[in-house]
Amino acid sequence: MDSEDDMHDANDIESLDDDFYSGETEDAPMDYYSDYDDVADDYFEDADDSDRIESRRPEQNFTILRELDIRQRQEDDITRVSTVLSIPRVSASILLRHYNWSVSKVHDAWFADEEQVRKTVGLLDKPVFQNSNARELTCGICFEMYPRSRVKSAACGHPYCHLCWAGYIGTSINDGPGCLVLRCPDPTCGAAVGQDMINLLASHEDKEKYDRYLLRSYIEDNKKTKWCPAPGCEYAVTFDAGSGNYDVSCLCSYGFCWNCTEEAHRPVDCGTVSKWILKNSAESENMNWILANSKPCPKCKRPIEKNQGCMHMTCTPPCKFEFCWLCLGAWSDHGERTGGFYACNRYEAAKQEGVYDETERRREMAKNSLERYTHYYERWASNQSSRQKALADLHQMQTVHIEKLSDTQCQPESQLKFITEAWLQIVECRRVLKWTYAYGYYLPEHEHAKKQFFEYLQGEAESGLERLHQCAEKELQLFLNADGPSREFNDFRTKLAGLTSVTRNYFENLVRALENGLSDVDSNGAASSKATSSKNAAGSSKGRGGRGKTTIRTSISSRMTDDNHWSCEHCTYANVRSATTCQMCNQQRR
Amino acid sequence: MSSGIARGRLTEERKSWRKNHPHGFVAKPETLPDGTVNLMVWHCTIPGKAGTDWEGGYFPLTLHFSEDYPSKPPKCKFPQGFFHPNVYPSGTVCLSILNEDSGWRPAITVKQILVGIQDLLDQPNPADPAQTEGYHLFIQAFIPFLFY
Repeated sequence: MDSEDDMHDANDIESLDDDFYSGETEDAPMDYYSDYDDVADDYFEDADDSDRIESRRPEQNFTILRELDIRQRQEDDITRVSTVLSIPRVSASILLRHYNWSVSKVHDAWFADEEQVRKTVGLLDKPVFQNSNARELTCGICFEMYPRSRVKSAACGHPYCHLCWAGYIGTSINDGPGCLVLRCPDPTCGAAVGQDMINLLASHEDKEKYDRYLLRSYIEDNKKTKWCPAPGCEYAVTFDAGSGNYDVSCLCSYGFCWNCTEEAHRPVDCGTVSKWILKNSAESENMNWILANSKPCPKCKRPIEKNQGCMHMTCTPPCKFEFCWLCLGAWSDHGERTGGFYACNRYEAAKQEGVYDETERRREMAKNSLERYTHYYERWASNQSSRQKALADLHQMQTVHIEKLSDTQCQPESQLKFITEAWLQIVECRRVLKWTYAYGYYLPEHEHAKKQFFEYLQGEAESGLERLHQCAEKELQLFLNADGPSREFNDFRTKLAGLTSVTRNYFENLVRALENGLSDVDSNGAASSKATSSKNAAGSSKGRGGRGKTTIRTSISSRMTDDNHWSCEHCTYANVRSATTCQMCNQQRR
Repeated sequence: MSSGIARGRLTEERKSWRKNHPHGFVAKPETLPDGTVNLMVWHCTIPGKAGTDWEGGYFPLTLHFSEDYPSKPPKCKFPQGFFHPNVYPSGTVCLSILNEDSGWRPAITVKQILVGIQDLLDQPNPADPAQTEGYHLFIQAFIPFLFY
């Protein structure tokens, strides 16, 4: 995992190189970025096709495919099979489709038992139906006689006229993707009908549909590829399993989990996500609410919520049963002698005997669990909507504000990339934060230490993100409204870029810590001491997560922890005052 | 597009049937009260196969062809309430070659359909029951009979 971070840094510096060394500037940002000085790892980056993908994930174990890329890959696979097996491309395509587009499976099966494969897939060596040498042949569907030139057949030789073929193929194509495994119309014949026949005989519209199905099949039948689940997105993703990270971000900017195709949800695992989503959509919470806030009518059992008035209840028609809300007995047994409309002696007496305890307790419990769920759900949902808002702001920024800012501040747009970076980070953080609430909901109640630590981390994450959001939104506003270039803009750049990188690090560490289940917290309550010690992070930073990365810095402003030390912005190590570079990571002091 | 084919194909089916058909079978397009012939509905009779319990019986069957024929199979109906595990209570026959999603091919002829249904009479398919009475009786009585 070590290389992950290096890769990330390398990634960063690469993109920054473009911006900062190409433009002729002698601005302050140079020294901000100068602490990413391990450029050596750059070489890893060149290998993959990073021009296709704009993801800020450190490890790229997926590739986004545009329609063109998909076609190219499909063609390549077909060519490979067709050359290796020396069979026509159409046959190769039929074979590949049958073996879910796995070239190696086709090869294995073919070389193991060619005859059997030919039989199951329907690729015949020679015709099974011998046409007589007559000049006219009978179409097997409409039974009309046709001259040879107007009759076609698949590899089997069964003759059908063009019109009947078109009808047969058209029906099959309109019935769905099953047309990809079309066979000869003869009931006893298994000969495959491939794309060559389709192109020859089907209508233009049907040909296009068939082509579409073939393309879709390449993605849908293949285990290594999936369509991006975002509505309206036409890209596909191919994924190389290996690392534990399932997050994929599509070119359409939608991030999703490869494993469960839900929206990206690190640090929460797929199981928790599906439980959470089910909970949000299912009736279970409605049931809880009903249980907590209503009583069933004693006669017709419909749930009734009492929101005002006296204890004399009348159920709605057609039931119309009149009963006492407290004891649920018939109202005919009640009246002045039981205490009037607002009390019930029968209830009081029975309650003292403990008759109602069980149901009351259940109601109370349901109420508590509902409140707990509501707490987490509200925060989950509000981060969700903040994220949507941030996405919209990001879009607005990219389309309108950057250009304007570039004018007023006399900066090339490439120099303003840090603003987009900040907003992208905000969007990502909102997503992570959102899922931490699902995480928190499922954190076992009895693990107090973990819970406490988790809540601390979450609180820190929240305030860090708020700071970044504030800076990107409010402080930027000043420059947007300004008439001309202002001197403070460079300070703003340094601040925002700094906040972005600090927040990014914090959230990455948070995700990592949550993903390994806060394993560094022992249940004995040691967490609280760790949490507080993170301010002068020197000692504890070594202990956690094996990398010292799990340590969470409280804020960028705590550069000086006390008079004799300064804490490194990069690794948080508390260095002695006299040091100019960090003793842990060799970064320049700033 | 295939709408033109249905009648032409049925005319050819009729011709070929008259030339040659299996013994005991009857297949004939419906004649309307005004004397015209409706090619889209055929009234047929299937004889019980010799050497089976069905021998000696003649079973009336109606074939309803749609305009999509032969792309889509005809609907084959016995009289309502026909007692057989693979016949729906409505009388519709449930047979793989008559199912457009599985076994149907446009090259299947009326002759093949009728012979196929004759075979089905004596060899029900317990994996695809279409009515409860016939199915239960078949499972309870016939299967043990076959195996012991």
